[in-house]
Amino acid sequence: MRYSTSLLALCVAITSLATVSQAAAQGPAADAGRWVVPRTAEGHPDLQGNWTNVTVTPFQRAEDKGPVLTWDEVAVLEGRAAARVERGARASDPDRAAPAVTGNTGGYNNVYIDRGKIVAIVDGQPRSSLLTTPPDGRIPAMSPMGEKRMEEYRAFRAQFGRYDNPETRPLGERCMMSFGSSAGPPMIPNNFYNNNYTIVQTADYVMIQTEMVHDTRIIRLGEPGRLPEHMRPWMGDSWGHWEGDVLVVETTNINPMQTFSRFPPSKDRKVTERFSRVDEETILYEFTIEDPAYSELWGGQIPFKAFDDLLYEYSCHEGNYALDNILRGARYQERQGNQPEQR
Amino acid sequence: MRSRSVLCTAAVGALALVMYAVPAVAHHAFGAEFDADAPIQLTGEIVKLEWVNPHSWIHIEITNDDGSKEVWMVEGGTPNVLVRRGLRRECLPIGTTLVVDGFQTKDLTLKRANGRDVTFPDGRKFFLGSSGTGAPDDGAEQRGRGTEGRC
Repeated sequence: MRYSTSLLALCVAITSLATVSQAAAQGPAADAGRWVVPRTAEGHPDLQGNWTNVTVTPFQRAEDKGPVLTWDEVAVLEGRAAARVERGARASDPDRAAPAVTGNTGGYNNVYIDRGKIVAIVDGQPRSSLLTTPPDGRIPAMSPMGEKRMEEYRAFRAQFGRYDNPETRPLGERCMMSFGSSAGPPMIPNNFYNNNYTIVQTADYVMIQTEMVHDTRIIRLGEPGRLPEHMRPWMGDSWGHWEGDVLVVETTNINPMQTFSRFPPSKDRKVTERFSRVDEETILYEFTIEDPAYSELWGGQIPFKAFDDLLYEYSCHEGNYALDNILRGARYQERQGNQPEQR
Repeated sequence: MRSRSVLCTAAVGALALVMYAVPAVAHHAFGAEFDADAPIQLTGEIVKLEWVNPHSWIHIEITNDDGSKEVWMVEGGTPNVLVRRGLRRECLPIGTTLVVDGFQTKDLTLKRANGRDVTFPDGRKFFLGSSGTGAPDDGAEQRGRGTEGRC
């Protein structure tokens, strides 16, 4: 009993000391001017808030580039982005005619578009690609199993038209999920707009909400109790744990319709994400993808920057005339005796 | 039971394969919705604004050569970006005359088109008409959370 009491006292003392040390480390008086990672009541880094991963750094690296840009190249890339915005804001010719027929319908006024304006910087290095593994910054080749899946796809795909029904249309077009891999995992910026996220953290869960199209992933913390293999939520089954100050999230059971980079995941895909709060304005987001459909592991690093603005509910179905227009268009072409184009 | 399970698995796999060819950069492929062989230019007054996702829609009333009137719907991008730039629906008054360049939907019986270029009659960009360049952080716009927008 006496021993236990002493041990308890020691524990209390150590805990108190640790608490004081932690408080001192965070106190502005102790380390004036130096950023200290904010922590939750549980003592973990606080990842909460609004973040954006928009950047002009491309996902894959150009084949003639090294992994790090020169600052001159940064100026060119960022200057090009600014120039595109400036061009998009110029007045049009008031005497212009209707657009020419070039085979391209074009997009929208540039004011809608938010492709970002800064290069992704990691460890002080301006990056030429978000993908960093394999070392060439390119998505690796498919494995023999992946090639076989693609052959099966082509054979299956040849059976019906792409515009036959809503189920054959992409998830983004159906307002089921964000387009590309905004919600992920992995969470990759799209090249258009709304690359914004809200993170909410508790002792047992981390929630990541993706603005477009209001996709919310609930990450459970602790020892994984995985879903049965046949249960495939859109964003998979995510479990997280803390490795020191890094939140590590492992996701399996990803829905096979949740495509990424134009390829559906195999049933055994596992995505591992690491979230590190590296400064006041940045979470370093790292991801790796293990998928037997590919010849090797691939992954990358993306800075998530603090987003000093609001996210809005997406309510994607409210105004989704587009899906209606697409399917109606195909039916109209059929009535005219034309086969809808398969693109 | 087992055969049903296998069938379901096969169906999910099949759908996954259908989804293979997903456009990675937009809510939808413009070429899927609009007819690249049907360019159009419309001039008319705003009668309605739908400030909704995934695309905003501007309704304009045009007058045909025979004097008859038609309302056309013009597709734009997400309103979220505009709102964050301080451009609210209230900034765009009903009755404003616009010139729209675009392409009709593939169903040519619909009075719908994409807003490839939307301007005032003098050529100024419609969404940039109040102030500034409309560029992100050009200094003219205010944050969406503000109580006042750019207009």
